[in-house]
Amino acid sequence: MEKEELKDKIFAFVQAAKGKKKLKEKDIIKGVSTETGEAADVVKKAMREMIDVGKLMYSYGGGSSSVEIPSEEYLREKGMIK
Amino acid sequence: MKKYETPLLDELEKGPWPSFVKEMKRAAAKNEMANDELGQVEKSYKDKRGYWKHGGIVGVLGYGGGVIGRYSSIPEEFPGVAHFHTFRINQPSGMYYKTERLREIMDLWDKYGSGLTNMHGSTGDMIMLGCRTEALEPLFAETSSRGWDLGGSGSALRTPACCLGKSRCEWANIDTMDLCNELTQAYQDYLHRPAWPYKFKFKIAGCAVDCVASIARADCSVIGTWKGKIAVDQSAVANYAKGGMNIQAEIVDMCPTGCMSYNGSELTIDDENCSRCMHCISKMTKALRPTGERGATILIGAKAPIVVGSLLSWVVVPFIKMEPPYTEFKELVEKMWEWWDDNAKPRERIGELIEMKGMRPFLEAIGVEPQAQQVYEPRKDPFFFWKEEDLNK
Repeated sequence: MEKEELKDKIFAFVQAAKGKKKLKEKDIIKGVSTETGEAADVVKKAMREMIDVGKLMYSYGGGSSSVEIPSEEYLREKGMIK
Repeated sequence: MKKYETPLLDELEKGPWPSFVKEMKRAAAKNEMANDELGQVEKSYKDKRGYWKHGGIVGVLGYGGGVIGRYSSIPEEFPGVAHFHTFRINQPSGMYYKTERLREIMDLWDKYGSGLTNMHGSTGDMIMLGCRTEALEPLFAETSSRGWDLGGSGSALRTPACCLGKSRCEWANIDTMDLCNELTQAYQDYLHRPAWPYKFKFKIAGCAVDCVASIARADCSVIGTWKGKIAVDQSAVANYAKGGMNIQAEIVDMCPTGCMSYNGSELTIDDENCSRCMHCISKMTKALRPTGERGATILIGAKAPIVVGSLLSWVVVPFIKMEPPYTEFKELVEKMWEWWDDNAKPRERIGELIEMKGMRPFLEAIGVEPQAQQVYEPRKDPFFFWKEEDLNK
């Protein structure tokens, strides 16, 4: 699978869980790996690349972390979009 | 700048001890954020409730740790603390700083934040309290360009911490600062990318005096120890007695394993039964001294009461050599992480998981043989059970 296609799958996976479940890195890696048949390491690398450019971001609540899609408002506050 | 009346906080300035209120007022005189923080805290004291919202997506790009989101729930009343995020900076091993480096940090913090700090947080980081979201990236860029890095937060490896070890303490059995730095460098990804069920803390103490309180605060406590006997200088013992020390009451009777005796002129130690707790040595520093091979005891599972009650660390490896590049220790730790990550529920610490599943599967997973030193409490249910195949042997 092309990397961009895999990234789209990861994004869709995270989007589908929005408001229902806080996903940890491992949930995404396992879920997308099962769904696409790609190796866990490949999914992890693609996910990390998305995190590095702000397409996905780590979130924090009650001392525990998850991975989420950042809101436009947040990206605007960070100066990443106008 | 708005002036807040703070009659309740003012009470906390009274008395001979240092006061955080006094320091907040100093910061408030020149910083709007610190000023509004003072006003909001006074309101919290008056109303007996907090006005903070906690968490969310706040951080610097690519990092999942080091920034903890905090917002005021009444920003219209206290706009200066509408955003009041915490920014954690990884402290140097042993917390040694040149004053010029501290000034550099404080100049940056005055520029981008509230000027308020917590030196240090319980994890060990320098805690910078109060930063706006839009200031995070420029602050991070400036701090990292000067060689600083963020500490850990969330479900990540928290910033490893250690006592000052061999740099100043003659009792350090291991080079705590070197090990702390090595773990920090080796596990950068675990520190900055939270991937686990919950937090994991290393604390490294050079001896059982445990100046970093690793036994109470770390998921993995590394405590320096030794294998040889305790050397006794009887003339120094006599000097302690002459100086007024009640050796029977203060030393012998306080020995947790009862391995010492004193006949009024000579102190004897049954080293076979000594647990290396350091009580006697730290009381009679001129008379007693560890000898022989040095290394560390590895303990697992301490935590403060969040999800379930507090736990003290539990010995898993009574003695391990601790020398660079620490390969044996790192391999052990990575096996611990793998078992915990595979088995824990969200927000379950490794100590809680061991309580839930038992010590036996944990020891099997990390490949450590059961040993007498691992017994946590005598006369309690044993944690080793025979398996079917053991019975058939």
